[in-house]
Formats: sequence, C-alpha cells, structure tokens
Amino acid sequence: MLALIILFLTALVTLFVGFAKKPLLTLSLSVLGLLGTGAALICQWYHPSDFLSSYEGVNMDAFAILFSLVAIIFTILIILSGFGQFKSRLDHTADYIGLLIFSLFGAIIMVSFQDMFMFFLGLEILSIPIYVMAGAKKDDPLSSESSLKYFITGAFATGILLFGIAWLYGATGTFKIYEIQQFFMEAEQISSLAYVGLLFILSAFLFKIGAAPFHFWSPDVYDGAPAPVTGFMAAVVKLGAFGAFIKLFTIAFSELYDFWMPALTFLAILTMFVGNLSAIRQVRFKRLLAYSSIAHVGYSLITMVVLTDNSALNLWYYLFSYGFATIALITVQMIVNDREDRIEAFKGLGRANPFVGFVAVVALLALAGVPPLMGFFGKFLIFADAIAQNPALIAVALLNSGIGIFYYLRTVIVILQKPGVDNEIEQSEFKTTPLQLIVLGICVLAMLFGGGLLMIH
Amino acid sequence: MELLLIPFVFALVAMIIPQKAVRGYALIGALVSVVAGVVHAVNYVPSAEYLSIVKACTTMEGGLPFFLNYGYDGIGLTMVLLTNVIVFLILLSNYDNQSIAASKKFVALVFFMQFALLGVFLSLDGLLFYIFWELSLIPVFLIFLWFGAKGKRRALMKFFIYTFIGSLAMLFSLIYIRSYAPSFSIEDLVAAQLTTVSALWVFGGFFIAFAVKIPLFPFHTWQPETYTKSPMAGTMLLGALMLKMALFGMIRWMIPLAPEALHCMTEIIVVLGGLGVIYAAILAIKQNDMKTVFAYASISHVGLIAAGIIVLSLDALTGAMVQIVNHSFVAVGLFLAADIIDRRLGHRNLLELGGIAQQAPKFAFWFAVIIFAGVSVPLTSGFIGEFLLIKGIYGYNWIYGVLIGTTLILACVYSFRAYQLSMFGPSKGFEFPDLTWAEWLSFFIVTIVVVFLGVYPQFLIDMVEPGLQKLIEIVNVK
Repeated sequence: MLALIILFLTALVTLFVGFAKKPLLTLSLSVLGLLGTGAALICQWYHPSDFLSSYEGVNMDAFAILFSLVAIIFTILIILSGFGQFKSRLDHTADYIGLLIFSLFGAIIMVSFQDMFMFFLGLEILSIPIYVMAGAKKDDPLSSESSLKYFITGAFATGILLFGIAWLYGATGTFKIYEIQQFFMEAEQISSLAYVGLLFILSAFLFKIGAAPFHFWSPDVYDGAPAPVTGFMAAVVKLGAFGAFIKLFTIAFSELYDFWMPALTFLAILTMFVGNLSAIRQVRFKRLLAYSSIAHVGYSLITMVVLTDNSALNLWYYLFSYGFATIALITVQMIVNDREDRIEAFKGLGRANPFVGFVAVVALLALAGVPPLMGFFGKFLIFADAIAQNPALIAVALLNSGIGIFYYLRTVIVILQKPGVDNEIEQSEFKTTPLQLIVLGICVLAMLFGGGLLMIH
Repeated sequence: MELLLIPFVFALVAMIIPQKAVRGYALIGALVSVVAGVVHAVNYVPSAEYLSIVKACTTMEGGLPFFLNYGYDGIGLTMVLLTNVIVFLILLSNYDNQSIAASKKFVALVFFMQFALLGVFLSLDGLLFYIFWELSLIPVFLIFLWFGAKGKRRALMKFFIYTFIGSLAMLFSLIYIRSYAPSFSIEDLVAAQLTTVSALWVFGGFFIAFAVKIPLFPFHTWQPETYTKSPMAGTMLLGALMLKMALFGMIRWMIPLAPEALHCMTEIIVVLGGLGVIYAAILAIKQNDMKTVFAYASISHVGLIAAGIIVLSLDALTGAMVQIVNHSFVAVGLFLAADIIDRRLGHRNLLELGGIAQQAPKFAFWFAVIIFAGVSVPLTSGFIGEFLLIKGIYGYNWIYGVLIGTTLILACVYSFRAYQLSMFGPSKGFEFPDLTWAEWLSFFIVTIVVVFLGVYPQFLIDMVEPGLQKLIEIVNVK
C-alpha cells in the first residue's frame, strides 16, 4: 500500500513541478519517486505486514511485488530514454512524465488486485493516460489516428469487460476473486452466465495484450504513437495486462480450466503465426516491433495454456527479458530518428556508432531467442516447462521461432552493412544523448547477463 | 577449464592489441591453445569415463536444475586437439591474406569461434551444449558478413535460417527428453527411459539439426552457395570444424540419448548418406568453380561418415573418427589451394586455369599430396578412415557397402579433374608466383598429419576406442 501511495504522490508532484518549467528537475524528482516506490516494494517483500493491510482491494503479495518492480524498472528506463523527446516540448515535459507514472500506477493495481472492482479501476487508470499519450505528437496525423483508434477500440473492449464482469457477478454473486474461486469449487452446477462472462472477460484481455484475432489495433497504434509511448505500451502495459490475466485465470477461473484452455491453445498458435508471418513483410521499424510483439504474446500465452507451479514466474521472466530488448530497440529507433521510420534507415548504424549498433544487434538476437542472451532463457523456461504436457504446441512454437529469425536477421544484416552508397536514403546522423546511452548500457548488460538470474536463488 | 578460457581471453585481448602485431599475435594465441591441448592429451589415460567438472547451481524456486558440467573422454579430447590444430592452421594459412589476417575483428572472431567449438566438444550438459552450439553460429556469421564475397546476403540468410531452424529442432529434443530426466547432465539424459514414440521425437529433432549442419542430402542446399561466397577462412571453419560438431553430436548425444529409435532410423540415415555420397560426387564432377567442386566433395565425404556412424559397428565408428580428423585436414588443404589460386589470379574458374605446375612446382607438389589424401590413397589417413567406414557399412548391408564404395572411384574423377585442369596443360599466359613460407608451412603440417595417421593410426584409435565401445554398450543395453 505504501508503495502505491508514494507512486501516486510522485505523479502528482511531477505534474505540479511542471509549472517551474525545469525539465531536469521534473525528471530527477520523478525518477527519485519511482526509486522510492521500488524501495517501498522491497521493504514490503521483507516485512509483509504493512499499514492499511486490512484493506482487501489490493494485496501486495510476492507475485505483485515481482511484477511491479519490473514495471517500475521499465518505466524509469523509458522516461530516461524518451527524455530528449519530452524535453523538446517544454510546456509538456511534466505532463508526459506524469501521465506515464499514472499509467504505471494502474499497472501496479492490475497485478495486485483482489476483487474485480479494483481490477477494473486499475485497467482504466492504466489505459486512459495511454490514450492521451498516443496522440502526443499533435502535429502528426498518424499520432492522432493512433490515439483515436486506440481510444475507440480500447473503450469498446472495456465495455465488453464490464459486461463480462456483470454476467460473472450475476452467476457468482461476488466480486472477490477468491470467493469466485470458492464458488466454482463448491457449486454443483455452474450457470451458463459464468461461461458467457468468462468469454467476455477473455476477449477484453486478449485485446489488451494484443493477441490475435484482437490484434489489429496494435500495429497502427505502435506505429503512430511517439516512440517512448510505444515502448511503454510494449513493455509496461503488456506486463500489467498479462499479470492481471494470469492472476484472474489461475485464481478465479482455475476450476474452469478445461473450458478456456482449448480456446487459449488455439489462440496462442494463431497469435504466433499471425505475428511472425506478418512481420516478415514489414518495412517500417515500429510496425515490425508491433508484429514481433504479437508473436511474443503468442509465446507468453503458452504459460497459461499449460499451467504448472512455475507458470507465473516463467511469464514474469519472459516479459522481463522481452521488455529489455524492446526498450533497447525503441531507444535505438529514437537515435536513428528517421522521419518515415524505415528499417533501411538503420543501414550503417554498426559503423557509424558501434556501441549503439552492438546493442541493437544484441536486442534483435535476444528477441529471436539466440543463446546465451536473456531472451533465450525466457523462451527456454516456458518451453521446457510446458513440453511434458503438450509437445506438439512446443513444436509449433519452435517452428515460429524459426520463422522469427528471418526478419530479425534481416534487420541485423541491415544494421551491420556498410553505409549505403545509394543516395535514395539520406544518412541519419545517429545523435545520442548521454541518458539514452545509459539506458542502452543497462539494457545490454541485462540481456547479456540476465541468464545469470536463473542461477541465483 | 583452461582449454576453454585460453581462446576466450585471446579473443578479448585481440580487440586492444596494436594493429601491427595482429598477425603474430594470432599465431601465438593459437599455438598456446595447441600446447594446452597436447598437454591434456599427454596426461590423458584412455578410458570410457568422462573426466568431468560438475558445478551445480539450482534455479529459481526449485524449478529447473541447471548445471555447469563439462569435461571430456577420448572422443572429446580428440575433437579438442583437432580444433586447436585446425584453428592454428586456419590462421597460419591466412597469414599472407593481408585484408583478412591483419584485421583485429577477424582474429577475435576466430578465437571466439574456437571458444564456442571447444565448448561444444567439452559440454556434458544438454543445455550447455545447446548454448555453445548456437554461439558458434555468431562468429561464423560475422566473418561471413564482413569478409564475404559479393552476393553474400542471400547465401548468408539461407545459411543462418537453415541452421537456426535445425538448432531449434534440437532444442525441442533436448527439452523433451529433459522432461523424462531429473537434470540436463548427460548421465541423466542417457539414463532416461523413453517410449519408442518419444524416442522418435527426440531422435528426429537431433537428426534435423545434425543433418542440416553435416549437411546430409536433402538438407544440403545451403552448403555449396555458402562455401563459395564465404571468405576462405569462413569456409575452412565451416568445412573443417563446424560440420564436425554435428558428427560429434551424433556420437555423443543423438545415438546414446534415443537409441530406441535406431531400428527405424538407421536405414533412413544410411540411405540418405549414401545418396548424398553419390549425388554430390556427380555434381562435383560437373562444376567449374574450384571451390564449388571441393564444397560438393565435402558433402560426399561427410555423407559417408554419417552413414558409418549410424551403423554402429566398432570398425565403422573408429573409421568415422579417423575420417573426421582426416577430412578436417584435407578440407583445410583443399580450400587453401583454391584460395591460393584465387588470391594470385582473382578467379577460380577451372576452364580458364592451366599450366600452373610449370610455374609453381612446389605448390603443385603439395596440392597433389592433399588430393591423394582426399581420394584415400593408401598410406594417407583417408585410406584408413574410408576403408574402415566402408567395411562397417558392408557389414550392415552389403548392397549399401558396394554402392557407397563407388565414392572411391567418383572422388578420383572429380579430384583429378580439378587438379588436371588447373595444374597441367598449356599455360594460359599468367604469372603464378610460388608458395610463400606460411602457405608452405600450412601444407607441410597438413601433409605430416595426414601421412602420420595413415602410417600409424593406432594411437588415435586407442584414444577413441573406449568411448566408442561404451557407446555401443549403451545402445545394446537399451
């Protein structure tokens, strides 16, 4: 609880400090606040008793703390790497950072909720700032399109979710997830209302995480939104949505596993194929990232299809590794800063700026799952855990990793190529800021040595 | 431990040494590894047990135990020694190729490659094996990308995607068999009890990975293009060392892990190997690019080795080990010869070559010796290897033995055709300077090894035999 309060105050303070029009002050205050939140969470880990612990809406258990910490790390990285872009609009620096932190607040509620009501609030707090942020590039029609599209489809999904919650309430008579679980365990006959509700809630989740066939918004939104917001959506929003997803389905709906598992199996496979096959043809970098993120959602869904004791942890580790790679790539995209965001604009990056090129290559290979990078261990944990129960699904997932290598490798080759002799594409300057270099350094260290996380207990 | 660390440290240090010293540094680094390998070999007492170092680390929440477990038996040690010597030869034979040998990037990548290869040969843990296996792909990819010939991009993609998908199939096998065993260590995996169906899954995954890497017909289509377009050092790494990873993998991992599947797979692999032997040899006869000839020749030779390994008789397995060593040295020799011609003349088209023997008698002599070793003339190690292999396959099924035996004739045809067209005949009016000392020394070392093993193969056989016997024992027990 303390962590949430600190976080909320940080967001408010950030907004008000914005009046001073001192971007650096805003930045340092917000980062400080986020670090404080992290510290509070770590205290919570060691001393679970906490004031206001009698409140039953949220519960900071180990699961929530792990997910929240990662979300905080990612948010700090994104604020740091996107600072250059935020700063370019002096009036709004604090607004951007404040909104991101509010959104993070929602994400943390979504991984710690105890009843459907808090869950819904968390989802809205998570989403609404993103609707605004996606349109932050006001002079760019693509950005407005992205914002509008995300808002309309997102609002629709929220409506469906609410509807589902209502049906579920009608069937079980409670909002609390443990009571719902209890109800399903004891009920002699489960009313069909519950199944309908579950399906509605499932679709809303699939929309939020961008799984096929609810993925159509994500390439457009990723493409149009400002780069830091894209990174935030890929890393933090997904983390929050997945956290809530696995929590709700492994607790509240655990008894209905046989009902939703086949649907999810099919959708996981569909999502992997849609993401990977569409990514092959992309020429714009952020669209490539969007489709690759769809594919990664497919791999992550495997943890839910095959539930074991380690599912939540595997999912956590996977999203952790995925987030670092994505943030690194988004930062590189900001450095390349091509107006039309073509992949070809990355040509010569390896020569012009070896460090940035190196990080980009490592991040792409990490997404592709090349050992010994962190991305490999993420995939490995998921696959190794699930293979005993469903070898065919893992075979499909590995086949998809094979398809994936095609477009990651193509981008790697572009980055390592000599700068183009053809004048069709003017050479970017690859300007970096010190903050971005710090972010890239942190990400590359994590990707190279993150596998070591498995070795410590 | 030091076996693995030496190349790794040398790879890191290579980034910071002065430009002038790069070439000498490379040779010294490789020599240190060779010496370390020899010291291990001298102290090694042949036995069937792995000399292993196990360091256990438990993972998060008591989930998957993860081991750093590496060591060697006679087979592994042979491969380690082979790798170190071949890496030295690759660096030595590139000594005169200024654009490559004086590049820090190149030297660092070769040492890194050596590190990955040694890791593959030393791992006694499935996951570790897979990690090193994939790691070896990165340096060869970069060497190819930075130093390759024109039009490499397509070949590069093809090569990487082929091998990566193959590796994923292997990852599937490893984690699948892991679900039947308490850990990834090789002892546990070998002890796992599989049903025939699951053994087929495991075996199939390994088979795809190794068939792509070896390459076996019909998984070979990436190979000629890749060999032709990659720089000579890359070709040597691929042909002399990387494909040996797959042959070694068959002996160390594929067969002992899932022998239950052998009864349906042996025949298939022997047939594919045999088809590859004959098909690639016929293609080799028709090629005009010297490097492509040797690329197809390589497919032909390794098809024979793969077929020999899978029939699992002691003769054939011993022959396979001898031939693995022999083929590595011969491949280095042949690709070096092709590259010498390329360096001097700027092309390798057999139809436009001729008369080199008059101008460069030393080159002609050493090239001839390598060619003889390639076609298995007695007193070279090629003879010992192929004789044992064909004997083993003949024992499995005499028809296959006879058919695969035609490789001896076909090899003569393409090798001597390439030699004759390039070396003899009227000179086509170009200057051809004779060998430099580094090239001469490379040829000399290759020849010494090949002839020594041809005359006295016993010490190599003594070294690998206990391990091979244990392999047959494992299969028979299951």
